Amino acid sequence: MRSERLAPYVLVAPALLIIVALRLWPLLLGVNFSFTGDGERNGTMVGLDNYLEMFQDATFQSALRNVGLLVLLLPVAVAIPGLLATFIYLRVPGHRVFRSVYFFPAVLSPVIVGAIFNLMLAFDGPLNTVLATIGLGPVDWLGDPGVAMFAVVGVHVWATFGMALVVFLAGFATLDSALLDAARMDGASLPQTIRHVIIPGLTRTIQFVFVTTMIGMLTSMFGLLYVMTSGGPEGSTYLPEYYVWIQQGQMNRPALASAASTVLFLIMLVVGLLQISVLRRAGRED
Amino acid sequence: MPDKRLIRWVVAVPMALLALATIYPLVFTANVALKARRDYVLDRFSPTTSLQWDNIVTAWTSVGMARYFANSLVVVTISVVLLLLLGSMAGFALSRLRFRGSKALFLGCLAALFIPFQVIMVPLARVMADSGLIDTYPGLVLAYVAQFLPFTIFLMTSYYKTIPAEIVDAARIDGNTTYGVYRRIMLPMGTPALLSVGILNTLFCWNDVLISLLMMPSANHRTLMVGVTSLRGQYSDNIPTFASGVLIAAVPMLMIYLFLQRQIADGVTAGSTKG
Repeated sequence: MRSERLAPYVLVAPALLIIVALRLWPLLLGVNFSFTGDGERNGTMVGLDNYLEMFQDATFQSALRNVGLLVLLLPVAVAIPGLLATFIYLRVPGHRVFRSVYFFPAVLSPVIVGAIFNLMLAFDGPLNTVLATIGLGPVDWLGDPGVAMFAVVGVHVWATFGMALVVFLAGFATLDSALLDAARMDGASLPQTIRHVIIPGLTRTIQFVFVTTMIGMLTSMFGLLYVMTSGGPEGSTYLPEYYVWIQQGQMNRPALASAASTVLFLIMLVVGLLQISVLRRAGRED
Repeated sequence: MPDKRLIRWVVAVPMALLALATIYPLVFTANVALKARRDYVLDRFSPTTSLQWDNIVTAWTSVGMARYFANSLVVVTISVVLLLLLGSMAGFALSRLRFRGSKALFLGCLAALFIPFQVIMVPLARVMADSGLIDTYPGLVLAYVAQFLPFTIFLMTSYYKTIPAEIVDAARIDGNTTYGVYRRIMLPMGTPALLSVGILNTLFCWNDVLISLLMMPSANHRTLMVGVTSLRGQYSDNIPTFASGVLIAAVPMLMIYLFLQRQIADGVTAGSTKG
């Protein structure tokens, strides 16, 4: 039966065609593109010119510095949902309500979150009003170059910690409750229980959250940056993804944008390889 | 042990404050959306005394939110249906059929999963422009399908692996062709996964702004999220109307959150435990 033999190929063909034509092929095209020129030099090979220009560009340097900042803030962004999940798992009063309330911002678009926080973080907005009642501030959250990036990352964490929380709770469901009971019998304190029972039992989940949080920070903050700061003030809130957009969409420099894309891809590759090596190491320990 | 119970309550207080901080921004926005402009300027915090539905109506009609809403609805619906169809077909083949190259295909899918849109957006825009698909609805649908298909295939493949092979074999003995097995067994039995993955894809597509910005330069082709980004410029001196527009755009996903929270969580955790 010829048609039966062909059936698997017919079933995968449309998906395969789309993925190859619109994801894998553009990747190759883009890397190649990054070594060509823009404008008058369109289509001619220019070697590493785009890369050299980009690394001297103050906004791209700012984007790379901010990637470094994200790496530094990553443990915090993972610890918050981890700790909250622990408390929910240990059934603090109201844990069911907390669980579902915390998840709610995760369904909102970064654009909506950004628009809402434009109101919340306005100079005369709610946050500064609250701070004023306890004698602090006001802070120019989105206008101060030293503060704006922290504000945007904070909003990103506000919007996404619910997703990580759900992943942590799924990890907890696989945790051996006998171990927890034993710890309780032995009179272990909460910090001891977290350190000696929960963290070792959740190694894989923690790693998964680390990697997905990092990927999320590198690739899904565009909406926030676009709505909240447009990369400003003074270029202080650029990220590689925003740089790609500006060069492609505003500056009409697609080849330069491709070079930035390639650098972003390399950063993602490093994150991915780190994940694999960490998982391998964890696998050996099992 | 009374002090243990005390600790739990001590922990619960900051958690409750955090829950408040999670909800308050949306409550504030909804309140502002229903305020008269004058009341907003005088006092933006107090609960609105007169419900100004006019703001919502203004945002819906004169700003063009209705048009953007319709654009999003059409594009997202078609994209999600295509994603589920193509994803389940490929998932079935990769999980339950043996053929040359299936392993390589699955690995290729996994690799594509790790290519973020930002990395391919410049060449993709060029490919789309060369084939005349830029600034068209089919072009945007294709871009969404391409973006979220690897993830869809990955989850459908892992779900179909949990369907016992005996069921597939029995269906074949009953005289079903491969296509018959797909239509009569895999599609109906895959419903829970299709629902979860479908909701997640709906969220992704509805909430997207970057792909839509890149693919749809014309103002009347804007999707809802791009429409929201343009509100600020138009209504910077009329915050209640601005807030109304934001609220309109948030409502569909809030509905999904209220009624289908479980399915979203299932989809998210399926990705984590199988990954």
